Amino acid sequence: MSLYARGYNRHMARQRGFSLVEVLAALLVLAVVITTTMAMFVERQKRMQTANETILAYQAISNEIEVRRRIPYSQLETASPNFITDTAILNPLSPYAATVAVSPPNNSVKIVTISVRWRNGQRVERVAITRVDTGGSGLW
Amino acid sequence: MVNRERGFTLMEIVVVLAVFGAFLWIVVVLTADMRAWQKRMPVNFMTHPAITAVVSRLRKDVQDAAPPYYRETYGNYSMSNRMLIVYTLKEAGTGETVVWDFSTDGEVTRRAFTDISGATSTWTAHGTPTFSIGDFPIPGSPDSVRIQATDKDGKLAIDQIYQPRPH
Repeated sequence: MSLYARGYNRHMARQRGFSLVEVLAALLVLAVVITTTMAMFVERQKRMQTANETILAYQAISNEIEVRRRIPYSQLETASPNFITDTAILNPLSPYAATVAVSPPNNSVKIVTISVRWRNGQRVERVAITRVDTGGSGLW
Repeated sequence: MVNRERGFTLMEIVVVLAVFGAFLWIVVVLTADMRAWQKRMPVNFMTHPAITAVVSRLRKDVQDAAPPYYRETYGNYSMSNRMLIVYTLKEAGTGETVVWDFSTDGEVTRRAFTDISGATSTWTAHGTPTFSIGDFPIPGSPDSVRIQATDKDGKLAIDQIYQPRPH
């Protein structure tokens, strides 16, 4: 055996690899870091998506409110239960449902609830406006 | 000496590649999901302060509008789908004619001309999308204004209807 080979063998004998426990512990730490990072990424993405979708939904709802405030009090129930305004802004939420419900009159007050549902009904945004029978029309 | 060294077995390599592949798969799926959503959604302009200011100020001007509400022309300005001329009330109760000028891409200018002194004030927002102005006929309210904006991909990002409020 050459001098070099003997020296190499002695050197290697003094060196230890990682134990199984060390490797497992390192892997566990790495897994926790990766999982946390990915969970943060997914959650951030989900919240951003929800926020952007909600902004679109509220624009459509606000537009519909402008129209529903102008419908005479006596005609609220007979007006279309679907949005009268253009809902092109909601296209990215397709399939969605944009509906309007009017409560029965109570002390000359009707509640008009305007809703947008999307993601198979998992997400809902709604605004309820109060209409009062003032004897006239188109008042708010 | 070489005989005592061993490399990785096929099984070890396969397991490592499978784990790494699973990780890559998750990253790719998440990225694809994000890209698909980004392609579907318009740009959210409402997070942009200048654009939010345009929309808010325009809403206030229209909601505070008083007869004759809109003017076909004012000075050198003419009403079009890129220009709105609205007569609105100020906090002091006096009136002013406001010209909303959307004719320059990426820029919105609000010029106000007061009734009494004729003094003007100009406010400009930069970095804005392409706006267009139209009307939206509401029964009993012929004075509604519809403002729309699209992002650079042509997706409708802002679509709002305003109408003057009773004073």
